[in-house]
Amino acid sequence: MATQYDADVIVVGSGAIGSNAAYALASQGKSVIILEAGEWIPRWKIVENFRSSARKGNHDDPYPDAPWAPVSFSPGYIENTGSFAFLPGMLHLVGGTTWHWAAATWRLLPNDMQMKSLYGVGRDWPVTYDELEPWYVKAEYALGIAGSDTEDQSGLNPDTSYPPRSAPYPVPPEAETYYFQRLKARIEPEGYPFIHEPNARTNQPWDGRPGCSGNNNCMPVCPIGAMYSGDVHARHAQKAGAQILTDSTAFKLEKGEGGKIVAVHCRSAKGVDRRLTARYFIIASNGLETPKLLLMSDVANSSDLVGRNLMDHTGIGLQFLADEPLWPGRGQVQQGAIFRLRDGAFRSQHSAIKHALTNTVPNRAITEHLLKKNIVGPELDKQIRHMAARWVDISTVFEQLPHLENRVQPSTTRKTSNGIPMMKIHYDPDDYIKAAVPIAKQDFANFVQIMNGTVIEDNTGFQNRDHIMGTVIMGDNHRNSVVNHECRTWNHPNLFMATTGVFPSASVVNPTLTGIALALRSADIIAREV
Amino acid sequence: MKAFSSFSSVLTIGAAVGYLLYSPTGLAQSPSEQDLVKQGDYIARASDCMACHTTKEGKPFAGGLVLKTPFGKIVSSNITPSKKFGIGGWTETQFANAVRKGSSPRLGHLYPAMPYTAYAGLSDRDMHALYVYFTKAVEPVEKEPETKTALSFPYNIRFAMVGWNMLYASGRPMADNESTPDGSRRGEYLVKVLAHCGTCHTPRNKFMAEKSSDFLAGNPNIQGWVAPNITSDNISGIGGWSEEEIIAYLKNGAAHGKAQAAGPMAEAVEYSLRYLTDSDLKAVATYLKTVKPISNLGQTKANHSYNQAIAVDSAVFDYPIDRSPLAMGAGSSIDGQRLYLNACATCHQPRGEGTEDQFYPSLTSNSVVGAKDPRNLVMAILYGVDRQTNDGHVFMPGFAEQLSDEQITAIAQYVATNFGNPALKVTINDVKLLRNASR
Repeated sequence: MATQYDADVIVVGSGAIGSNAAYALASQGKSVIILEAGEWIPRWKIVENFRSSARKGNHDDPYPDAPWAPVSFSPGYIENTGSFAFLPGMLHLVGGTTWHWAAATWRLLPNDMQMKSLYGVGRDWPVTYDELEPWYVKAEYALGIAGSDTEDQSGLNPDTSYPPRSAPYPVPPEAETYYFQRLKARIEPEGYPFIHEPNARTNQPWDGRPGCSGNNNCMPVCPIGAMYSGDVHARHAQKAGAQILTDSTAFKLEKGEGGKIVAVHCRSAKGVDRRLTARYFIIASNGLETPKLLLMSDVANSSDLVGRNLMDHTGIGLQFLADEPLWPGRGQVQQGAIFRLRDGAFRSQHSAIKHALTNTVPNRAITEHLLKKNIVGPELDKQIRHMAARWVDISTVFEQLPHLENRVQPSTTRKTSNGIPMMKIHYDPDDYIKAAVPIAKQDFANFVQIMNGTVIEDNTGFQNRDHIMGTVIMGDNHRNSVVNHECRTWNHPNLFMATTGVFPSASVVNPTLTGIALALRSADIIAREV
Repeated sequence: MKAFSSFSSVLTIGAAVGYLLYSPTGLAQSPSEQDLVKQGDYIARASDCMACHTTKEGKPFAGGLVLKTPFGKIVSSNITPSKKFGIGGWTETQFANAVRKGSSPRLGHLYPAMPYTAYAGLSDRDMHALYVYFTKAVEPVEKEPETKTALSFPYNIRFAMVGWNMLYASGRPMADNESTPDGSRRGEYLVKVLAHCGTCHTPRNKFMAEKSSDFLAGNPNIQGWVAPNITSDNISGIGGWSEEEIIAYLKNGAAHGKAQAAGPMAEAVEYSLRYLTDSDLKAVATYLKTVKPISNLGQTKANHSYNQAIAVDSAVFDYPIDRSPLAMGAGSSIDGQRLYLNACATCHQPRGEGTEDQFYPSLTSNSVVGAKDPRNLVMAILYGVDRQTNDGHVFMPGFAEQLSDEQITAIAQYVATNFGNPALKVTINDVKLLRNASR
């Protein structure tokens, strides 16, 4: 058996989660190789790609859609067979999809991790909130999270701080936009708690990043790098000695003796293959590509659960015009959430509900809306001005439960230009979230009524929320899960998953922070073993 | 909330509170001693002892900061009242000799990285307060700095400083009545002695001594940055600045339409100058206006006087690009305009005017952009700007990790040509040298 390795640890994927794990290992002196299908692209170039684009509503558009490393909206990259077109916006470049997130970084609530035992639905996590808490702190300080230390993020008990935290947020919350202030002032008294959304858009200098200045361009690219993106820790990892190999798409994990993984095979755009060996492997290729790689390699799948239990925060939306100018679009693209039903006994019956306040400059959406109604000329200008001041956009999410039939698999018919299978997805929104839709729609009606509003759209149908979970699910034994509480695969002691794909339950909050916390914890475990 | 604002500010505030309140004996201090401690704290601030004797992560005044000099590295010493590792066992005379004459009971002759030639002018009154402050109010750190001073021969022989001192260290303490806050020479005292402005802003001779005839006429290399001419010359110095502008600059590191502090000057503002009283700041500004004007050879126009951006049609800001995947992923362009528009203009604006409130400063009417020497412009792009002020934390990210030498050259040239001094020439060697110099 070979004793020489190319690295102590190979991390597949340079996104926020993989790069944080890689940096944690490299900074402890471990030799680390990061494999990335895409390229290093400096921020200025992505900004240029965005500004010169005619498709500003497509947040994948400023990123190169290479036939060997496609963006997720590339036609054919994802083939859907279920009742819902599962199509998250995902990227291939150093830093990954956090180049165009909106940087919401909630923690889970302790109850979110005990769905089965508390509410009799879904699954429990094999790790407790208390075990994860110190890693949340590390993740929050790595990203420079702005958050409130005084709010109850469950929305249940005003004037208390919840969930429990052992350290304050590294950055104070940003000022409330006028839009947020007005909606809060009118809607909150009717029983809808408005909670500050913790976020990785630092509002003061943090780790080489400037404070947010409200360019309102978090998606598709922060033009000044105030919003955290994974390239920050890709660079930190590189500085700490990690080697980043771009144009290197992993397509096979090679099994060796004793159930160990011995090598990863990766391929360049031109089809040149490389075999790299390591003591440990971390797969951090997002919740879709990660299970696809495992399935293509026939590893970690004795449970037959790899790729199954696919979850998103499948949601619905509301747009209406308020009776007063609220001036949306100033500051960041989203701020705060309305949590009347984040947690409670009702979760045995139907999904929790988060209403998020979208604060994107609405001119494009309004103009498209008006043009569809054939409004042109001076009337178009007049109506854009009127509506842009009063536009309210609510993005609502639900908690899908894990189901075996919701799954991602390698495509058997379509391949990238260098011969790597694309993917096939089957996804049906479940009855658990469908049961919450009428309640959310009643909330919509209440919001409109409180704001004396005019509905633009309150029947969107289900929408993607780009939060991929469940596909390499975590559990307490090898029959019911792919990885254990350490995110280590049951089948291969040196193979770890660093992705939100390990989540056994979805909750209603954005998963990236929890993904990073889990990955930092895994990296710590690995560091003690290699 | 504010106290949690960031790790570093928590540490800084914590440290500041720590050493202000610390009383090693645990005994109540007499009122007069409290006054002395307060005065000594102010003198230590104004003299910026902390900038050199404290590292970013270290305890106040525990030393360990590495100063790179042309002759090797000099490491600042522990000046806490530790008996073993600091100044704890020193008499006031020994302390005064170290500060004024560079003669340490522990190390022998200090190197003039310690600005004792300036501190030689420290009044007896302030020296006493400083001694009381350092011995009674600073927390002792029982540790030697980990790094050691390492100079090349013959500079590693401390005794060689004897001759140097005879030639260049001849200052006398300023009289108490002249140097007090309402004293007749307060401004001069602050500039020459406490703030030791000349340490950076006065050029040095080949023996590294300040050239007294060129007082404050500028020094071309302070850790890669140019310390500009700050004499009262209207063209080359700050003669064209109002007193209010000088005060604003010292306090917050920004005089709109003139200059912003970065690099070592940002540190001087952050650690020292912003703590000065308004009357002291005014005294400094008034005195600086009286410093003998010295003009830079051949300079005919003040650096900040380039106040017009070259007119560029808005259409050039809106251009099509190659949208093939390879081109969209290629970030190596060396087109200064494209780089400026997409890496800089979000904050500094397409025509370099900055934002209306100058939170993001203008590049026109900017001393760095109007200079003939490209170094501070290149340094700011490479390493950014970072300073805590009384008016918030000012920060520009550095681009050293994200842009190549060629790209930084192109941006600096574009900025100079369009917003500043068209005669300013930036070469790739400037960028290479500065990138390496600061490593």
